[in-house]
Amino acid sequence: MALDNIPRLGCGRSIDSIWASIDRSPTAHEEQCKQCQTARIQLERLSAATRALRESDLHDPALRPRPGIKNAIMDVARAEVRRGSRILLRAADNGATEISEQALSSLVRFAAAAIPGVHSRRCRIEIRPASAGLASEDHQSGTTGTATPAGPRLIVNLRVAAAPGIDIPVMAEALRQEISNAIPAGVGIAAGTVNITVEDLYDV
Amino acid sequence: MDDHGPGFEPDLDEGSIVARAQDGDLAAFEHLVLAYQFRLFRLAYRMLNDRGDAEDIVQETLTTSWCGLPMLADVDAFGGWIFRLATNKCLDVLRKRAARAESILGSDDMDAIPGARASPVWAGWDPAHAAEWSAEQDGLTALLNTLPPAQRACWLLREMHGRSYAEIGVTLKISPAAVRGTLARARHQIAEGMSQWR
Amino acid sequence: MSDPPLQGAIITSQLIASLATRTTLETPGVLRIEPSVQGFLARLGPAALRHVRTSGSQDGTYRHDGVTATISDGTARVHLDIATDIMYTALDVAEAVQQRVRESISHTGLAPGAVDITILAIEHRRGTTIT
Repeated sequence: MALDNIPRLGCGRSIDSIWASIDRSPTAHEEQCKQCQTARIQLERLSAATRALRESDLHDPALRPRPGIKNAIMDVARAEVRRGSRILLRAADNGATEISEQALSSLVRFAAAAIPGVHSRRCRIEIRPASAGLASEDHQSGTTGTATPAGPRLIVNLRVAAAPGIDIPVMAEALRQEISNAIPAGVGIAAGTVNITVEDLYDV
Repeated sequence: MDDHGPGFEPDLDEGSIVARAQDGDLAAFEHLVLAYQFRLFRLAYRMLNDRGDAEDIVQETLTTSWCGLPMLADVDAFGGWIFRLATNKCLDVLRKRAARAESILGSDDMDAIPGARASPVWAGWDPAHAAEWSAEQDGLTALLNTLPPAQRACWLLREMHGRSYAEIGVTLKISPAAVRGTLARARHQIAEGMSQWR
Repeated sequence: MSDPPLQGAIITSQLIASLATRTTLETPGVLRIEPSVQGFLARLGPAALRHVRTSGSQDGTYRHDGVTATISDGTARVHLDIATDIMYTALDVAEAVQQRVRESISHTGLAPGAVDITILAIEHRRGTTIT
């Protein structure tokens, strides 16, 4: 229906089809048809002007917002920063220590950056809190038996994009290893479960 | 005072950067702001012909995107989404300007017309003087400003920013086929205008 | 911004807060105290958020950019939002902060109460290269 709105020349050809073919040599009809020739010349001129405008706008330093705009945007983002949920690491008489999900995620991503051929994406971290340990166990059978010391148990769910051609099982294992080492070193608690999901391939 | 989180690799693909920004990573978001602020400004400036208004669009769009990011289902859709937000904000501004100009004219108070806002920059442009313009591009932008707002948005998104028909259609709430028709009319009108130059 | 002296005490919650701030920033592995409006509001709950005034300090509580200090019954309690250096073990850094802050509180004559810590961010120290 909308195609009927496309302007047409007297000879019946649409502006659209001429535009689509201005990079090619004229058809037999176009060589004969005065209207087509005129339209072609006009559209060629428009095409050149469009290209020139695109290029000059792209490089025109006047066509940029002042630097304060970026800072203002980042100020708002910082003020409304999302840290995710908080995870209780330790409760003691001295005081409690908790960590934001985001702090944990950034540690996980930093670890992941050490593995070539993988870009980490979203990271969700679930927690079985310290102390609440055994009481809240658990839909998974077989995990309740032993009395583990009351530390939080993390479940890290990391989604990643992989480089094309990479050996995914090998990469995922290396990633899991790296993260499992980084969490005790960086936070001071056991890594718990690390789940890796390869959701995409990225272009190199 | 930029926050650069750990492990922010400069050669990350955009999908991964978007995913991290969704998780609240400020460094990743800053990267997106840097990647899109100029493009959005060029779009907004060509739509509105006012630096201040265009800067407002850039700021509002990217600020809004920070809050909306977690809801974005597909990380690869970020570019289309951000252009859609910005385009619709521009169209809102133009609608408000038109309404304001109308009410002012209706009140017979001609002195109250805010020049830069109510009268677009092309108002004084005369095709006969086109030869005096140093560059044909200036004439092109002048003609562009004679197009209805949605048509202009359509042309800018396609010709200046290379957005897809499908994406432009979603932005302007029309079918991809209608985008094609709108573009053809825009090109036709601009080409006609240009043909009057000497 | 100073508190009315409590029962003749000359130690204000503002003083405790600035003491805690200084002690925290001197602790190795602490990058900064994190001014987080959200973190603060999350602790208070949404209802409290409408009553927040930055300078308001009633009942011996002082809040400033990531630090909350409360004095009651001769005991000082502190909450800190911090960012830590990725080269350190966060929990160890937190523990060191807790000990140091409690110690510096004890020098004021008040009893040190709980020093609660939220690690909001883990980052590289500025100027270090990411390899």
